[in-house]
Amino acid sequence: MEPAAAIPAIEFRNVSYGIAGTQVLSGFNLQVESGETLVLLGRSGSGKTTSLKLVNRLLSPTSGDVLVNGVSNGEGDVIHLRRSIGYVIQDVGLFPHFTVERNIGLVPKIEGWPADRIRARVQELLQTVGLTPDFTSRYPHQLSGGQRQRVGVARALAADPEILLMDEPFGALDPLTRDELQHEFLALQQRLHKTVVFVTHDLREALRLGSRIALMEAGRLVTVLSPRAFLESSDPLASAYVRAFGEGLESSANRGTS
Amino acid sequence: MNVFRFILQNHSQVLELTLEHLRLVGFSTLLAMAVGIPLGIVIAHRPRFNKPVLASANIIQTIPSLALFGFLLPVPWLGERSERLAIFALTLYALLPIIRNTYTGIRGVDPAVVEAGRGMGLTELQLLFQVELPLAVSVILSGVRVAVVISVGVATIAAAIGAGGLGEFIFRGLAMVDNRVILAGAIPAALLALVADFGVGWLERRLQPR
Amino acid sequence: MTVLRTILGVSVLAALALLLSCEPSHSDSIVVGSKNFTESFLLGEILAQQIEAHTNLKVERRFYLAGTYICQQAILAGRIDVYPEYTGTAFTAILKEKASGANEDVYAQVKREYERRFGLTLGPAFGFNDTFAMEIRGGDARRLSIKTLSQAAAFAPQWHAGFGYEFMERPDGYRGLAAMYGLHFAEEPRIMDLGLLARALKDHQIDLAAGNATDGLIPALDFVVLEDDRHYFPPYEAVPVVRQQTIQQHPEVARALAELAGKISDEEMQRLNYAVDGQRRDAKEVVHEFLRSKGLVP
Repeated sequence: MEPAAAIPAIEFRNVSYGIAGTQVLSGFNLQVESGETLVLLGRSGSGKTTSLKLVNRLLSPTSGDVLVNGVSNGEGDVIHLRRSIGYVIQDVGLFPHFTVERNIGLVPKIEGWPADRIRARVQELLQTVGLTPDFTSRYPHQLSGGQRQRVGVARALAADPEILLMDEPFGALDPLTRDELQHEFLALQQRLHKTVVFVTHDLREALRLGSRIALMEAGRLVTVLSPRAFLESSDPLASAYVRAFGEGLESSANRGTS
Repeated sequence: MNVFRFILQNHSQVLELTLEHLRLVGFSTLLAMAVGIPLGIVIAHRPRFNKPVLASANIIQTIPSLALFGFLLPVPWLGERSERLAIFALTLYALLPIIRNTYTGIRGVDPAVVEAGRGMGLTELQLLFQVELPLAVSVILSGVRVAVVISVGVATIAAAIGAGGLGEFIFRGLAMVDNRVILAGAIPAALLALVADFGVGWLERRLQPR
Repeated sequence: MTVLRTILGVSVLAALALLLSCEPSHSDSIVVGSKNFTESFLLGEILAQQIEAHTNLKVERRFYLAGTYICQQAILAGRIDVYPEYTGTAFTAILKEKASGANEDVYAQVKREYERRFGLTLGPAFGFNDTFAMEIRGGDARRLSIKTLSQAAAFAPQWHAGFGYEFMERPDGYRGLAAMYGLHFAEEPRIMDLGLLARALKDHQIDLAAGNATDGLIPALDFVVLEDDRHYFPPYEAVPVVRQQTIQQHPEVARALAELAGKISDEEMQRLNYAVDGQRRDAKEVVHEFLRSKGLVP
């Protein structure tokens, strides 16, 4: 029996975005299913970060519509929208004058959670991202790059959002740490089943983490494929990527489940 | 030393003039902060206005203080009482460092921090008060420090138009050709500037973001 | 957040403290002011010693304030309580009226307007009229047989004039005088420091100077004061200007001022001025001696 079609968690309907005379995104159509890890893969200028920012309304489309859980995200309270979506960026952006605890607990605090609930949640999240409880009183400048990004992820998960947006979150880390965090991300996703939109230019990372890969070039969606299908694709751009990344990609392809 | 004996003998007047001086500097600095900091915040967020605002404040700064006092004397209400005039002029002089440092301080906040904050769902006000201002406060204070030191200096000239303060000792001493009187005004004024510079500087260092 | 709150709190407290300190705080002392020339300074010292001798109040001296405007601002702001002024100056420079009329008229008008507009009042006049004196060397006066300004006007084109800054700028100063008497000098009058005018006149650097009728150097250096036959200058009776609030709080000050009424003649003021300017005696001593001679202080 065919399962009833579920409403996609995120949907881009004919979305275009232009600024200062440049078309950054055109005719973008994409559906992101609930619980999947959708990777936006492309080079700089392909429009992948722009697409991400259209989801939490940091940018507004010049035409077309972006829907979150079936409702256009242009209607309703944008603050409420953003607080219900986790956002992780490459430079992390931890507040340097807050402790780790205050950083992670910020959204719960402004949402009015009681103090002890916040404290408990922070402890829980530290464990989830692989940090020990003594990290609560440390300041960002006392942390390594990897530790900072773990806190960044914890912060994004604090209010338990359904959707997580990640913009090249591991791009600034050394290869060893990056590998660790990718591994932990997969484990996390196995447990939490969040809807994740993940931006990267690294095919290896895309193959490893994504349930589907949306290839973007010059503001357009080229193709959307599963990791396996991507490796075997005859699409010229996709195969160019595969060639560019060289050997041993099969082992990266879809370590996780979708 | 002669001067210090003179100051001790006339300590009540020295104190009174110092208090007058502090009133002039205090009121004008607070006014400049009340106007300049919000203005600095506005132009930091809307860079379109930063050139006209900064340029205007700059022009005001280049007017010699005695000339500015002179311009304002015929103005109704303001010109009738020299303290009002002096406080108004001192406020104008304090604006540039305060506006400019607020602007620089807020623009200097790491854009990644602002983006993360906005993306997390902080309102613009929450972003301002919980993130941008605390991170910019040290730079803003440095602007306040410059403003205070300038004010202490310009306020001595305000005595020329009858606004009182330590400058009055200086002008009176010049008329009396009495160095002790001049120094009884000049030394406390210099000390005031140093104390203010040191005090606000200490606060700046304490509040520097890590 | 706490940091910002602290700074905000401190600023608010500072603002409140400033607002509350608006009233000057010298409630049990009297501040006497004066302008920055010898006669004003002497009158200020007379006021100070008189108040010290006849009341229990402490007197603070804030002398050598640089001019009429500064004194007016200071007394309006309550930074000084009393200072010596001249009715003519108050009338033209502060009330900005055109001067004319007899002594009592000007005094009465000034007193009325000061009480109405500024919360200030006048004590009784000291007794002399320090009007502007247009001085020439005694030798010239005798040689050319001139006694009045109208007579002097004929010789003006051959003369150089020297005036103080305030005389040049005041509405009741040089401009009006030159217009009324048709004065045209060899060149624009030189603006000089008041203290240097007498010597410049003596040394023939200038031929006419604007001094004061009570100038101590007039008899000493054989200067002659030209008569203001067209009555250009208003009367300049010396009077104490005092805050009404001060009188209300300390009526004994009014009594002390009243005892000074009419106690100083033109000649007596000239002598006092000369004692300080010419003989270089200590002003405090000179004043004390004078008040004693009048039976005002022990």
